[in-house]
Amino acid sequence: MSIFEYNGSAVVAMVGKNCFAIACDRRLGVQLQTVATDFQRVFKIHDKLYIGLSGLITDVQTLHQRLQFRHKLYHLREERNMKPATFASLVSSILYEKRFGPYLCQPVIAGLDEDAKPFICAMDSLGAKELAKDFVVGGTASESLYGACESMYKPDMEPEELFEVIAQALLSSVDRDCLSGWGGIVYVVSPDQVIVRTLKGRMD
Amino acid sequence: MGDSQYSFSLTTFSPSGKLVQIEHALQAVASGYTSLGIKASNGVVVATEKKLPSILVDETSVKKIQLLTPNIGVAYSGMGPDSRVLVRKSRKQAQQYFRVYKENIPVLQLVRETAAVMQEFTQSGGVRPFGVSLLVAGYDDNGPQLYQVDPSGSYFSWKASAIGKNVSNAKTFLEKRYTDDMELEDAVHTAILTLKEGFEGQISGKNIEIGVIGTDRIFRVLTPAEIDDYLAEVE
Amino acid sequence: MVRVEEPAKGGFSFDLCRRNAMLEKQGVHAPKCLKTGTTIVGLIYKDGVILGADTRATEGSIVADKNCEKIHKLAANIYCCGAGTAADTENVTDMVSSQLELHRYATGRNSRVVTALTMLKSHLFRYQGYVSAALVLGGYDVTGPHLHAVYPHGSTDTLPFATMGSGSLAAMAMFESRYKEDMTKEEGMALVAAAICSGIFNDLGSGSNVDLCIITKDGVEFLRNFQQPNPRTYVSKRGYSFAKGHTAILSTKVIPLREQVTIEEGDGMAE
Repeated sequence: MSIFEYNGSAVVAMVGKNCFAIACDRRLGVQLQTVATDFQRVFKIHDKLYIGLSGLITDVQTLHQRLQFRHKLYHLREERNMKPATFASLVSSILYEKRFGPYLCQPVIAGLDEDAKPFICAMDSLGAKELAKDFVVGGTASESLYGACESMYKPDMEPEELFEVIAQALLSSVDRDCLSGWGGIVYVVSPDQVIVRTLKGRMD
Repeated sequence: MGDSQYSFSLTTFSPSGKLVQIEHALQAVASGYTSLGIKASNGVVVATEKKLPSILVDETSVKKIQLLTPNIGVAYSGMGPDSRVLVRKSRKQAQQYFRVYKENIPVLQLVRETAAVMQEFTQSGGVRPFGVSLLVAGYDDNGPQLYQVDPSGSYFSWKASAIGKNVSNAKTFLEKRYTDDMELEDAVHTAILTLKEGFEGQISGKNIEIGVIGTDRIFRVLTPAEIDDYLAEVE
Repeated sequence: MVRVEEPAKGGFSFDLCRRNAMLEKQGVHAPKCLKTGTTIVGLIYKDGVILGADTRATEGSIVADKNCEKIHKLAANIYCCGAGTAADTENVTDMVSSQLELHRYATGRNSRVVTALTMLKSHLFRYQGYVSAALVLGGYDVTGPHLHAVYPHGSTDTLPFATMGSGSLAAMAMFESRYKEDMTKEEGMALVAAAICSGIFNDLGSGSNVDLCIITKDGVEFLRNFQQPNPRTYVSKRGYSFAKGHTAILSTKVIPLREQVTIEEGDGMAE
């Protein structure tokens, strides 16, 4: 069994026109037993920067706390928010520091930079960045997410359309993964607003 | 001798609240060759005297203005060897920042780190303060910037500043000449004129050094030939 | 004692090793990490060095990135192709690039390829192959063009042409049959591209596009996606269309993000 199958997860981020969306499922399980159905793996770093962490939940929470700490420290020192690409580099170096005893999770980072250009990036547990122009995925449902996104994604979507596509991609993927699901939560971030929607999904 | 009983250890305050070793360090700076910097609207210039103890010294081997990163340079007044320690530490700090964030270190952050090193040397055992003041010139997302860092570890942002011998004369001169809308070329001229004011002997491209950074964000130390061209312009 | 977290000063942390080993013993395996199965090559031609790489990154048998960059910059005149664990190749090249910059400041000279080579091999040897980076290092310095292959355990080769990665045999077949000394730039580029293509089509760990990097005395030409022999042929460009409101929603929250408060002209505060 892979450690990812211990808690189960699905995380996906997509790029639209001057906006991005990041979504995750809501299940927390211990192997095949579901423990919580209102769980979240997508965290806000600042208004226009989010990180989704798939993998072992204890490491997800620890890593999130460390990242939040580092961002706050950066904010105090430099009196500015981190650019998404800068934050991705920070996550990468924090992960690589533990090259021989890694955090058992794979981050998905999505953000808007100052001129509203969307940035998305996925990483493995060692911090190898995977910069994509369209979408990135992570978690136990990543294989089916790759397939769904590969066919559903199209470039330059407006926020509302982007929401539908990412929601459909997430829901159809988690339906084929017994370790993730129980609805989902989607953040669609554009320069002037964030739309947060919870999705109705199968509860089995 | 009033101070001397408190100067055996630099971590001991005198009753008047002074750390005399730091004041001695400032004295070392004040007897060093003059350096100055001017922040223009589109760049920064730093200039310094490079007087050598003998004409037999190969002047090309002496570098008083150095790069910390491609977009940040530094000039110093005071003890040369001390400055090299700071330059080495600052360069390493800049690389450490870059390794984490994949972004060039902002000028203020590098200045703060350098100042922190200087402060540490005023409060640690077995060390003495640095006998140098630094003028750090850089250009980043916040535009052109000029900072002065002192042996105590305090640092300030300046429009124009001078350190070393003749500070007060140089500063008065700069106060008269400085304008907010000054362009980089004018700033270079002003820098040369200021240096010339207190200069003993004939000024030339071989006995001063000038570093400039403009909107291209590349810090460059001018060659003696380029300085000679500027000298011809101001005459 | 509470340890205040500071930006890493370099070096690894082994905090989680024992826990992860414990999990492994219980039969729970660590996730697969990003590898670049990879075909990377390099050759020396008349005026310099040409490096080449494919652009596929894999995670087990999944293609994780269809167009990744495997040619890393170490210095203005030195580039390096990386194969193996992606995080290792990325970090080892970044680290050396950083060391080279400090070295240039200290010496006031341009970097040499052998300097980069020594830094790479001493790091890799120190980690006894656990930092799994296989590299093709190429550059042009005061002593002319150089090409080296660096193995994960820290051994190195100095060669007129080199291949690395899972597609190295496929690529080497092209080099062994067609390489000759003092090739022109065009001949060199064609041979490197052919070697990479041989890897792309015959090795499953390599795929997608061809990246080239030509390093000469006068500078560097980095040709990203020089050839794209595997364009997307499936699915219409427009994808699927979902009507607005197609997805069943439980709740919606809209958070406005105000860029900044604009202050209209107004009276000052009354004294």
